[in-house]
Amino acid sequence: MKRMYILSLSLLLCLLTMSTVQAATLDAFQGQKGTINIAGGTAHIPVMKAAAQSIMTSVPDIRITVTGGGSGVGVQQVGEGLVDIGNTGRALKDSEIEKYGLQTFPFAIDGVAVAVHPENPVNGLTKDQLIKIFTGEITHWQDVGGSDAPITLYVREDGSGTRETFEERALDKATPSSNSNVSNSNGAMKTMISQDKNAIGYVGIGHLDASTKAVTIDGMEPSQENAQNGSYTITRLLYMNTKGEPQGLVRLFIDYVYSEDGQGFISAAGYIPVIKD
Amino acid sequence: MGFSALLVLGCIATLVFFLLSKGWPAWNTQLFFGNTNPLDAILGRAPLWEGIWSAFMGTLCLIAATMALVLLPGIGCGIFLAEYASPAWNKRLSTAIDLLAGAPSIVMGLFGFTLILFLRRTFLPEANTCLLLAAGCLSLLVTPVLVVNTREALEAVPRSIKLAASSLGFSKNQIVFRVALPMAVGGIVSGAILAMGRSAEDTAVIMLTGAVANAGLPSSLLAKFEALPFTIYYTMAHYQTQEELNLAFGAALLLLLLATVMVILAKGLELGHQYFWQGEVPSVLQ
Amino acid sequence: MEYPKKTHDFSWAQTYVYLAAGFVLASVILLVVMIVVFAGPALLEQGNLGIFTWHWNPYQGHFGILPMVMGSIILSFSALFLALPLAISLCGLMLTAPKHLAVKVLQAAIRFMTAIPTVVYAFVGVLLLTPLVRLTFAGSGLSLLTATLVLALLIMPTMVLVLNSGLGFKLDELCPHGLAIGLDKFELLWFFVFPRSKKTFLAAGLLGFGRAVGDTLIPLMLAGNAPQVPQGLGQSLRTLSAHMALVTANEVGGAAYSSLFMAGFLLLGISALVSIISRALVKN
Repeated sequence: MKRMYILSLSLLLCLLTMSTVQAATLDAFQGQKGTINIAGGTAHIPVMKAAAQSIMTSVPDIRITVTGGGSGVGVQQVGEGLVDIGNTGRALKDSEIEKYGLQTFPFAIDGVAVAVHPENPVNGLTKDQLIKIFTGEITHWQDVGGSDAPITLYVREDGSGTRETFEERALDKATPSSNSNVSNSNGAMKTMISQDKNAIGYVGIGHLDASTKAVTIDGMEPSQENAQNGSYTITRLLYMNTKGEPQGLVRLFIDYVYSEDGQGFISAAGYIPVIKD
Repeated sequence: MGFSALLVLGCIATLVFFLLSKGWPAWNTQLFFGNTNPLDAILGRAPLWEGIWSAFMGTLCLIAATMALVLLPGIGCGIFLAEYASPAWNKRLSTAIDLLAGAPSIVMGLFGFTLILFLRRTFLPEANTCLLLAAGCLSLLVTPVLVVNTREALEAVPRSIKLAASSLGFSKNQIVFRVALPMAVGGIVSGAILAMGRSAEDTAVIMLTGAVANAGLPSSLLAKFEALPFTIYYTMAHYQTQEELNLAFGAALLLLLLATVMVILAKGLELGHQYFWQGEVPSVLQ
Repeated sequence: MEYPKKTHDFSWAQTYVYLAAGFVLASVILLVVMIVVFAGPALLEQGNLGIFTWHWNPYQGHFGILPMVMGSIILSFSALFLALPLAISLCGLMLTAPKHLAVKVLQAAIRFMTAIPTVVYAFVGVLLLTPLVRLTFAGSGLSLLTATLVLALLIMPTMVLVLNSGLGFKLDELCPHGLAIGLDKFELLWFFVFPRSKKTFLAAGLLGFGRAVGDTLIPLMLAGNAPQVPQGLGQSLRTLSAHMALVTANEVGGAAYSSLFMAGFLLLGISALVSIISRALVKN
C-alpha cells in the first residue's frame, strides 16, 4: 500500500513539474532538421534507439546520437549542456535539479531483479539473507540453501541508477562489500552472471532473459506486471531529463516517446510505459 | 628459450585464430550495413543503425582529422630538435616530448573533457565534445611518435652530406630543407603512418571526448561520432544478443586488419626508402 | 653577365619550425598545468590529505584513492615480472639462433604483436581467458591474474625490440673476436653481453612498466574494478587508469571529480619519473 502511494505521489509530482506533454506522431517531424544528442542510462537505450531509428528513417535531415554511460553520465552531460537529453534510471536528486535546472520526464517503469546463474538451485531469498549476502556476512551458497560453493558478488558502477535503486530498495541502504566485481551495464552484468555458476547480481527486469535466473525476494516475484501493480517493490522509473524547458526538436522527441509509437517501443524493450493523458 | 618462444607464438596464434574464426563468418554486408541498402548508406541517403560502416567511416575521418592537426607541428618540432635547437632547448623540449610520450591516454581524455567544459564556461558556450576535440587530443597523443621519428630520420642523414653542401655554399636553411629533409622523408612518412595507426586504435581518449554508440555517418567536425575501438568496447560492455557480439568480433577483426596494414606499410616504406638511398637492405631487426 | 637571383633562403621555413616547436611545448605545458591545477583542490577538499585513504565509497563520502594506486603498482609489477624474463629469452633466441625460417616467423610475429590494439587484447581476454581463469580459480575470472597475463602479452613486444637493439649492438661488436676464439654466440651472449647490459635491461623494464601503468582498457575490462587492494591472484582490483575511466562521467565538481585529477596527476608523475630515470640511464 505504501508502495502504491509513493509511486503515485512521485508520478503526480512529476506531472506537476512538467509542462503539458502531448502525444506526437511521426508527422510532427516532417520538415524538421537538426541534431539531438542523448546520453545516460543503459536501460533506456533500446527505447531511445528504436525511437531515433524510426524518426531518422522518415526524416533524414534529423540526426540523433545515442550513447550510454549510466545515470551519472546522463545527469552530468545534460547538466553541462553536452547533450540535449540525459537519461537516468533514478529520480533526480534535489541538488542536481537545483544545480543544473533540470526538468524530468518519467516514461517507463522498470523493476530491478536479483539474478543468479540459471543452474543455481536457489529460487528465492529473504530480504535479510539478501542484505547479508551483499554485505559479505553470508559467503557461501549452502548457507541459503544452495550448493557448496562460495558466492561471487556482482554490482554496478558508481553512477548507476540500477545500483542506487537496488541499494535503496533491496538492501535498505546497506553497503555492499568492497570485494564485489563491478560491471558497467545491464548487458555486462548479465554476461558475467551467465558465465559464473556462483554469481549473484542485479539487472533491470526488462533485461532478463534465458541467460540468467531471477530469484524472488520475500516471496515477491519479479515481473513487469508486479512492478506496475506494486506487488514487487524493487522498482524504479526511467526518466528523460532536459536542462530547462525542452524546445523544438527535443520537445518533439519527448512527445514522440510518450506517443503510441513510443509506448510500443517501450513495451518491446520489456518495460511498462507511463501513460500520459 | 625455445619454450618461451613457443609459448608466446601459441598465445598470439590463439588470439588471431579466435578472432578469425568468430569474426570472419560475421563479415558480410549485414555486419557493415545492418538492414540498410549498402549504396544508400554509403551515399548517406539512409541512416545506418546496425552496421559498423559508420564506425569505420568515423575512424577514417578521425585519422584524417588527427593527421591534419599533427603533421605540421609534429614534423616541424622534429626538425627543430634535429637541426635548430641549442643544446639547452634541445634538452628541455626532449624532456617535454618524453613526458608526453609517457602520458597515459586516459589522462589525455580527461584533459580534453576538462578543456571542453572550461571552454563552455568561458569563451565558447556552444562548445561540445566532438570529432574536432577528439582529433585534437589524439594529435597530442601521437605527437611524440611523429617528432621522434622525424628527428631520428634527420639525424640519420650522414654528416658528410651536410658538410659537403655547406662547403658548396648552401645556407643552413637550404641544407635542412633542400638536402637533408628529402633524404629523411622515408622515416618521416613511416612515423606518420605509425601515428595514424595509433590514432585509429586508441579508445580511452575518444570515449571521453565525443565518441558515442550510435551516430550514423560522421557529419561534421563539430558533431559526435562513432569509431571502431569505441564500438568494440561499448558492445563488449553492453551487448544483449549474440548478433551484437558478432558485430563486435567483426569490428575487432577490422580494426586488427587496419592496424596491421598500417604497420606493414610503415615498415615497408622505411625499408624501401633506405634501400633507395643507401642501396642495401639493412638488418630486418632494426 | 646576369647572375641568377639569390636563391631562397627558406627563412619562412625556419620560422615555421620554431613556431611548431613552440606550439608543441605550449601544449605540453598546458596539459601539465591543467592537471596540476585541478588536482590541487583534491588535496584540500577532504581536509588533510583525505584523498590518500584506503576507502572509496562515494555514497558515504569516502574518496580515498590509495587502493587504486596500489592496484596500478601491483598490476604493473606483476605484468613486468612475467614479461621481462620472457622478453629476455625471446631476444636471446632471436640474436643467437641461426637464421632459420622459424626465427624469421618469430620476428614477424613480434612485430605483428606491436600492432595489435589494446582494445582487441582486452576483447579477446574477456571472452577467451576469463572463463579459463574461472575454471582454475573459482571466482569471477576477472582478477589480477587475468589482467596480468594479457598486460604482459601487451608490453612484451616493445621490450623485445628495445632489448634487441641494445643487446644486438653489443653482440655484433664482440662477435668476430669471440667466435674466433671458439665461443659460440649463445656463450658470448650469456657470459659477456648480459652482465654488461644492466642498463639495457633496466631501460626495457622501465619502458614496459610505464606502458603497463598507463594502459586503461585491459585493467578496465579484465581486473574486476573492485576498489580494494587485492590479497591474492584471484582477487579483483582497480587501477588508477580504470578508475579514471569509470568515474569521469559522474560528477562535475565535487570530491569524486577532483579525485580524478589527483589520479591523473599521479599517473603523469609516475610516467614522468620513469622517463627521467630512463634518460639518466641512457646518458651514462
